[in-house]
Amino acid sequence: MAEGENDLHTGRKTTGHEWNGIKELTTPVPKIVLFFLAVTFLVSLLIWVLAPTWPTGSAYTKGILGIDQRTSLETSLKRSAARTAPWRNEIEQSNFETIAQNTELMKTVRSHGARLFGDNCAMCHGADATGGIGFPSLVDDQWLWGGDPSTIMETLRVGINSTNDDTRISQMIAYGRDGILTLEQRRSVGAYVRSLSQSHEISTADIEKLEAGATIFAQQCASCHGPDGRGMQSVGAPNLTDDHWIYGGGSADIDETLRNGRHGVMPQWEKRTSATDRKILTLYILDLAEGAQ
Amino acid sequence: MISQLTKTEREIALLLTILLAISGSILGLMGRGDLLGYHGALLAIAGYALTFVLIKDHFDPEPGPKRIEKYYDDPIKVGIVLAIFWVVIGTFVGDWVAWLLVFPDATFDAGWASFGRLRPVHTSGVIFGFGGNALIATSFHVVQRTTRARLADRVSPWVVIVGFNLFCLMAASGYLMGITASKEYAEPEWYADIFLTIIWVVYFVLYMRTLARREEPHIYVANWYFLAFIIVVAILHILNNLAVPVSFGHAKSYSLFSGVQDAMLQWWYGHNAVAFFLTAGFLGMLYYYLPKRAGRPIFSYRLSIISFWGIVFLYMWAGSHHLHYTALPHWVQTLGMTFSIMLLVPSWASAGNALMTLNGAWGKVRDDATLRFMMVAAVFYGLSTFEGSFMAIRPVNSLSHYTDWTVGHVHAGALGWVAMITFGAIYTLTPWLWNKERMYSNKLIEVHFWLALIGTMIYVFAMWNSGIIQGLMWRAYNENGTLAYSFIESVAAMKPYYVARAIGGFLFFLGAVVCAYNVWKTIQLPAVAAKNPDKPPLPARGSPTALSAAE
Amino acid sequence: MLKNHAKLERTAIGFAFAIMLVASIGGFIEIAPLFTISETVEDAPDMRVYTPLELAGRNIYVREGCYACHSQMVRTLQDEVERYGHYSLAVESKYDHPMLWGSKRTGPDLARLGDKYSDEWHVAHLLNPRAVSPQSVMPAYRWLLRNELKANDMPLHLRAMRKVGVPYTDAMIANATADTYGQANPDSGAADGFFERYGFDSNSRYFDGDKRKVTEMDALVAYLQILGELTDAADQTAGAANLENDAEGATQ
Ligand code: HEC
Ligand code: HEC
Ligand code: HEC
Ligand code: HEM
Ligand code: HEM
Ligand SMILES: [Ca+2]
Ligand SMILES: [Ca+2]
Ligand SMILES: [Cu+2]
Repeated sequence: MAEGENDLHTGRKTTGHEWNGIKELTTPVPKIVLFFLAVTFLVSLLIWVLAPTWPTGSAYTKGILGIDQRTSLETSLKRSAARTAPWRNEIEQSNFETIAQNTELMKTVRSHGARLFGDNCAMCHGADATGGIGFPSLVDDQWLWGGDPSTIMETLRVGINSTNDDTRISQMIAYGRDGILTLEQRRSVGAYVRSLSQSHEISTADIEKLEAGATIFAQQCASCHGPDGRGMQSVGAPNLTDDHWIYGGGSADIDETLRNGRHGVMPQWEKRTSATDRKILTLYILDLAEGAQ
Repeated sequence: MISQLTKTEREIALLLTILLAISGSILGLMGRGDLLGYHGALLAIAGYALTFVLIKDHFDPEPGPKRIEKYYDDPIKVGIVLAIFWVVIGTFVGDWVAWLLVFPDATFDAGWASFGRLRPVHTSGVIFGFGGNALIATSFHVVQRTTRARLADRVSPWVVIVGFNLFCLMAASGYLMGITASKEYAEPEWYADIFLTIIWVVYFVLYMRTLARREEPHIYVANWYFLAFIIVVAILHILNNLAVPVSFGHAKSYSLFSGVQDAMLQWWYGHNAVAFFLTAGFLGMLYYYLPKRAGRPIFSYRLSIISFWGIVFLYMWAGSHHLHYTALPHWVQTLGMTFSIMLLVPSWASAGNALMTLNGAWGKVRDDATLRFMMVAAVFYGLSTFEGSFMAIRPVNSLSHYTDWTVGHVHAGALGWVAMITFGAIYTLTPWLWNKERMYSNKLIEVHFWLALIGTMIYVFAMWNSGIIQGLMWRAYNENGTLAYSFIESVAAMKPYYVARAIGGFLFFLGAVVCAYNVWKTIQLPAVAAKNPDKPPLPARGSPTALSAAE
Repeated sequence: MLKNHAKLERTAIGFAFAIMLVASIGGFIEIAPLFTISETVEDAPDMRVYTPLELAGRNIYVREGCYACHSQMVRTLQDEVERYGHYSLAVESKYDHPMLWGSKRTGPDLARLGDKYSDEWHVAHLLNPRAVSPQSVMPAYRWLLRNELKANDMPLHLRAMRKVGVPYTDAMIANATADTYGQANPDSGAADGFFERYGFDSNSRYFDGDKRKVTEMDALVAYLQILGELTDAADQTAGAANLENDAEGATQ
């Protein structure tokens, strides 16, 4: 190629071409570029030899280390399992009281439980497990299905109205929609229910209504909520005499409950969590409940 | 502008706009009852409006024979103005999207204003609207000046500019309405893809024809990059967008490929959209405007060769680094990782070639904010490619993937490199195009420079922080071997960084507004007749020189 | 070398061809074998297709840009399988045209979301994420419950999916519209034969809790509830036992 002129600043020659005033110097490729090209190529070559890399039509080179991302993962899971085995075994084999008294284990319950609860349960029951509209509080000492640890653990396994084959099943009947009670009747039984927990002032004008409500309650509701309205854990019917409400205790909320019924769903956790994790979760929420009281 | 066209050119243009109006109408009719109808209407209205303009001015006097003594710069001017329009829109939406992550309820209960629909308006707005228009405009400019040939004709540049912007409009309005194919950076639906393919072929043919008319024996480096940009983007675009529409009356289509093949194809596309749209094209820009502005020869012609072919060859292997540890087979990941590492060398060689070119002109860099834009761009280019190659290493990617670190990397490249080099080019080009002595205000360029630089720094540092914290929180373990944080805790931890990012982004957006103002005022300055360094004499046409005959 | 390049620089067409050639190699070597190496996509005989309602929901997921914040790809990393469950297999997105693996996790991964929450929760969450998750930055999607689902063209959707390789039967295509409404309206009898067509494991419920109309919310929730549930392949892969037994609790 035609040599160009000398560039004063660098002392290099230009290539002799010019494009609207732009020229190029003939500076050779700096050695360092070639050096790094070689280095990165050699590094790559090494990796190609070690790890799966080149396709060969219907297969690929496996690399002499024989590694694959899935087997590497299994290895790390095994290592982690070995590391956590001591406390996992202990939790599996001990009963609830023993664990609750073991401060070391409870440390694990609290840290691991908090994470499990945060990623799986907090979305419904709230970060502090106090529940929200439609989702019961887990720290209020009121249990739909029973509050002893093994019952809770079973609730976690099968869920409520869930897709599990053993699911707990419960249903609050839609008295309005299904035409069982008239609006008038629902109003009076609603008022009666609210009187049970003293969640509103009762005036003498209401007395008649409440009496009618009490009669309906005895006929319709007592079979599930018990004659005194204290709930029945065998069918998952809540206590109506405390002032904890899943769906709210205002008259509009109760109207809605009576008109369309309720069918709360608690997912099953059998498919997603191990028995140990469910045990930890049980201990975790009981611990939270204790803290809350 | 129509007065620049000859009679036949006007007729061809008229034919094309009528064709656009008709095909828009047909699309609109077929797509009535579907969102597609709106885009049919958009094309039809554009077609009728352009037809009207062409008919209205049809009998304007024809340009004299002198026209061939001048470069054809009208479409370039329009391209630059559109690029500025889109950067203001695009960064505005970007900052809006950034604030949405701070105030998620600011959506007016309207679909179009929600994060998921606005985000692609931002990405397409800045990449295609801003980047695309800037690339098209500067490529038209560079190819004419470095070949000393006019654009091969006066209709196809308009087809490219107008068509491309209609595509951008369809893209952005489509996302707001809910039309998207969901493939990142390739979200527009099948009909828009076909439309763009046609535009792109016109672009390619125009570019090749112009190169063929060149008066310089050698093709200058900048044109290699523009050519690679045009060709490879075409290949990527066509393959990644293969899809079967629900019907010709539906906007919706289903990708031809599924699952793992679809993922690989998408990121082969996605990564090389970065490589050939956001890198190769802008390197073309760098290779022209930086040496022009600095008044220095390119540091090394040989280095240009190695880095060009290195980039063209190696980039195309690297896409699988977007899919580390996924269901994509391990062997493809290894290839993606190793080629990304090798890719660093030609990338740094390009950045180094640019910076070494400034040797002997550092005084200018100090005094001239325009040149400083380009210098900083080269530095950010080096930085983001280093970061990219680092993030492509599987174990590093296991931390960075899915986090804001990627977003930080993106914007180091997008703000620091893509936008800065473009602003440098715009400030260099504007006075030349409009025959002004200089930009309206150098002070404002200085102001813009610092807004852009500080904005970028805040953005990138905020995202590095949040990304790394996020990644570490997801994989943090307690001493008993269990995960330490729930996901939502990591969301909460991002808040301060999201605020910082949105503030940094706002500064950057302000800079873009300052740029728009400055360019606007420059256009209104009185023109100077002084000899323009931008206009190498055009040889008389008509007698093909020996060279172009040999082509 | 330099001489040759100088020659190449003098021919635009030659240069263009050179670029095409050099640029094609990488993609070809990485992508073509994904169709020829059979172990790339695992076998899953139990894999079912999306029901029309779920497909409509998936399209809404795409339309709203959920993939901008949510991945659907659990990577082969310890922390991910511990948090989200078994890593994703290629076969699980075999019928995903396009795939929605995602590239950003502003919100959590959704690959194993199916059956994790109740329909009521999803509705409450989509209406106002901050009502159930105070620190969430996810937008509210209230219009989903207002918009009735448009399903009269579902047969065309299924037919297009069949063209790209999803094994929808003629009966599925013919009944697509009725199946869409029927799945979200179990008492209506609109979807006779729905379970025969899509399997007895599929869900038919009032997903949005509103029995009077079939809304976009119905479709989206139906889709969210089967994420990761189309096949059991993940539970049957070699090593799945490890995920469950050795690393007790190394799930979720
Ligand atoms: C989709 C929302 C949802 C999620 C997620 C959820 N729950 Fe529940 N949970 C409920 C609902 C709703 C009920 C009450 C069901 C009813 O009303 O009959 C409930 C009930 C319970 C009960 C029974 C309370 C009693 O009084 O007997 C326990 C215990 C419980 N949940 C614990 C958990 C734990 C632990 C997790 C996480 C592993 C969890 N829940 C996740 C919705 C959820
Ligand atoms: C078939 C059993 C059954 C009968 C009969 C029944 N309930 Fe219930 N009830 C339930 C169950 C189960 C729930 C909890 C539903 C849930 O959590 O999803 C419930 C919930 C309620 C609640 C909401 C409690 C809260 O915390 O928000 C009210 C109020 C109530 N019932 C009142 C009544 C009244 C009044 C009647 C009679 C008219 C009645 N129930 C009859 C089973 C029954
Ligand atoms: C701006 C980002 C953003 C967008 C867009 C977004 N999400 Fe989310 N999503 C989040 C965040 C953050 C969380 C975690 C907090 C929460 O539960 O809201 C989340 C959580 C979720 C969850 C709960 C996942 C789990 O396992 O706990 C579901 C389901 C979900 N999103 C579905 C969707 C759907 C469907 C869309 C689109 C219609 C969507 N998201 C759009 C950010 C987003
Ligand atoms: C005012 C300046 C800007 C702001 C405030 C901004 C803000 C944002 C935000 C908030 C996101 C979404 C990130 C997420 O999902 O978490 C984003 C994504 C993106 N932006 Fe920007 N942006 C700006 C400028 C630009 C420019 C100039 C470009 C390109 C030239 C660009 C290219 C992109 C790309 C490619 C993405 C997608 C990143 C990914 O998917 O990983 N942005 N931007
Ligand atoms: C040597 C050069 C480069 C390499 C090897 C590289 C590598 C990478 C890697 C590893 C990721 C993260 C993928 C993931 O985990 O999801 C990424 C993302 C990205 N990079 Fe680069 N990068 C390079 C240069 C650049 C440049 C110069 C830009 C210019 C703007 C850029 C823009 C992007 C964008 C937009 C993304 C986000 C893609 C997405 O997820 O949406 N990169 N890059
Ligand atoms: Ca992305
Ligand atoms: Ca419904
Ligand atoms: Cu990449």
